[in-house]
Amino acid sequence: MFEAMGVHGPTLSPFASLVLDVALLASAFWLLAKPTKRPIMDSLFLATLVLSVALLRVVMEPLPNVQPVTVAALLVGAQLGARRGAAFAVLVAMISNFFMGDGWWTLFQAVGWASVAVAGSQLSLITPSGLNLRKAIFASLAAAVWFDLIVSFSILDGTIGFTDFITYLIHGIPFDLLHMASNLAFVVWLGGWFSGLLEEQPTLEEIEFAVVNGHGIDG
Amino acid sequence: MFQRFIAFILLSLMLLPLVSANQETSLWNQENSLAWEYDFGTGYISTSPIYVEDKIIVRTSGNSEPAVTALESDGTFAWKHSNLLSKNNDMSPLLSVNAGEGVCGTWPDLLLVGWTNGVIDALHPSNGSVYWSTQTEVAGWGITGAASVSEDHVIYPTRRGVGQFCLADGSQEWWAETGLGWRNGVGLYDGSIYSGDELGTLWKIDLDGNSTALATFEGKIRHAPQMTQAGLLVHVQSSTSSTVYILDPVTGEEHQQFPAGPSPAMPVLNGKYAAVADSINLQMLKCDTMCTVVSQIPFHSNGEIGWQNESHLIVPHNTPESDWGSFRFDGGQNLTLELIETGISGYGTAAPLWFSSNGVNYTVFGNDQSLLRVYQSNYREEIVDTKDINWGTQGIVFAAYVLLASSAIFFINGKKEFFLRTFSLLLVLILLLILPELSQVWSESIDQVLSEPSTSEEWDEQWPDSWLGTQVVIFEIDGEETAFGGFVGYENVFTVTEAAAEEAGYSLSVEQTGIGMYISSIDGVEGKGWEYDLDGSKGRLSADNTEIKSTSIVRWTPV
Repeated sequence: MFEAMGVHGPTLSPFASLVLDVALLASAFWLLAKPTKRPIMDSLFLATLVLSVALLRVVMEPLPNVQPVTVAALLVGAQLGARRGAAFAVLVAMISNFFMGDGWWTLFQAVGWASVAVAGSQLSLITPSGLNLRKAIFASLAAAVWFDLIVSFSILDGTIGFTDFITYLIHGIPFDLLHMASNLAFVVWLGGWFSGLLEEQPTLEEIEFAVVNGHGIDG
Repeated sequence: MFQRFIAFILLSLMLLPLVSANQETSLWNQENSLAWEYDFGTGYISTSPIYVEDKIIVRTSGNSEPAVTALESDGTFAWKHSNLLSKNNDMSPLLSVNAGEGVCGTWPDLLLVGWTNGVIDALHPSNGSVYWSTQTEVAGWGITGAASVSEDHVIYPTRRGVGQFCLADGSQEWWAETGLGWRNGVGLYDGSIYSGDELGTLWKIDLDGNSTALATFEGKIRHAPQMTQAGLLVHVQSSTSSTVYILDPVTGEEHQQFPAGPSPAMPVLNGKYAAVADSINLQMLKCDTMCTVVSQIPFHSNGEIGWQNESHLIVPHNTPESDWGSFRFDGGQNLTLELIETGISGYGTAAPLWFSSNGVNYTVFGNDQSLLRVYQSNYREEIVDTKDINWGTQGIVFAAYVLLASSAIFFINGKKEFFLRTFSLLLVLILLLILPELSQVWSESIDQVLSEPSTSEEWDEQWPDSWLGTQVVIFEIDGEETAFGGFVGYENVFTVTEAAAEEAGYSLSVEQTGIGMYISSIDGVEGKGWEYDLDGSKGRLSADNTEIKSTSIVRWTPV
């Protein structure tokens, strides 16, 4: 609603936008800059994943606050670890916003989804028998609220007071509900399948373990 | 056996009120109930109230303070405009005119009031303030008849003639002399104006103000002539009786005449049918190439006839202890009458007012008892729009029903995962369907609870008077205010802002967002965005989703 009042976050100059994009990209590469046993295959897989989810987000843009990226970030974080999950989140935010509109809010979306991915990596959503659906459902509902809160901080540009910010958050509750409902749908419909898709890839920890063991054998 | 007996008794008791209702009260009284009443204390309500901008506007006179009073739909007082110089009794019907523009200028929504001291007041219906006021000729009396609007002009009958006035400023463009008139309303048909006088002359006036006597009768013409398919209908009053004439509107030649009783009411048309009344009968005429009387019922009425729709009329019964008559007409020859009780029996000449608010139909009665009584229909109007079926939405609704049924089946069968799947999709669909309205209602509720006390936007004395009663837009650019006004008829903040920007020569950068139009820059000034105030209160919804009044002031400031 505040968008109608002109509350849209600060408008970035072209140079500031460039700096922001470079910083986000650098952080994504830094997160990925770890030795892997199959660097090309892993990078290709992650790139495909990023492009697919970014495209899905663009395609679903007409549906207000239906965000497939939130659940995807949660599950990527859970399956591939915090680093790759965060890198995935940053890249999806950047690429999809390239089509949907880039700006100050990209930073907050990237941070929001990256934090969801990190949380996903810590919540033991994956069990030996697959995705723990109950945990995943609660995590996806909480992730919707968390992400919306993080992105809401993008309106704080020095002109918005605390009361206005709270009012803004309350105004957004119907949109938060839709985000939660759509996350629930994504998890129960696609959570198991998506999680299984990611399972075929070794986690970063497994890769590190394999690398260390390989060196040991060679030595 | 005992249970059946008790059931029989109870059913009989339940039916009892219906039986007694049928016996004692009219069908209309069964279908309507009193919503509220407003006591004006003194004065007569001699002409029908009108409903403008969600207000019921009532004319009262015959007391020390002739006035026009506006009441809200729930009966609370809104405003009053008095004319202490009026000569009483004021009976010229109130006239509502929509905002518009023409050769002689622009005007906002107006309420036109003609007074017996010759004054015509053009009021803002929203607050009763005077937009313009003009004085017409007085010969003992001033204005007593009905006016008519022609493009950017209003044509008023004065005491001895007919005048045309500009709607934008009230200036008189011409005045044509006729005869001495009383309730001498004007009828406007095919570029000609018709009006009668107390000497029985029917006048025809062209749009340049040239008058000619079209026909002369023995008696008085005290209503606006009506144009039927068979010719011009004039009800001429003589001392002990009256006659309804059907005339050629060009030559004045008499085609038909129908005898009627004394003291005629003002005839009204509805399609092919014309209702005329007097102190003896109400007659229904059907006019094709010729007029024929299809039905008549004894009834005493001398004022306005209210035609709610093609099958229902309500007419004031002008006798000391009487009420209103409800006439049902089947479109053929069957006209039936039942007397209705409004609780304000007595002399009356004002037709009732009908209006709808929030799907409820209301009927408003007023007469010489200075009491206004508002009745509401006991049946809520079903609003069914079958014209524009949104098949996308219909598809989603259908899918929602399928998902609801599936969810229920899976839940009953204990298939938790499938239940979650169908139920989650159902939730998303429902939220998608209701989100636009939900978010708007939610935001408005939040604003009501959390909004800061609004400070009304003050009228700037430096603004030209022609902006009074119109929409005004103020831009604050580089610390300087620039105002643009005189806008009429714009429905929301965005459209009036567009109009103001165009007049100012400002460029507007607009982004379409999921929740409406977002104005990102005005005249090249972006800043951190723009926000608006509407009538002193901060805008909460997008500019295109915020409706404005005819007198709203919109202020745009950079963040």
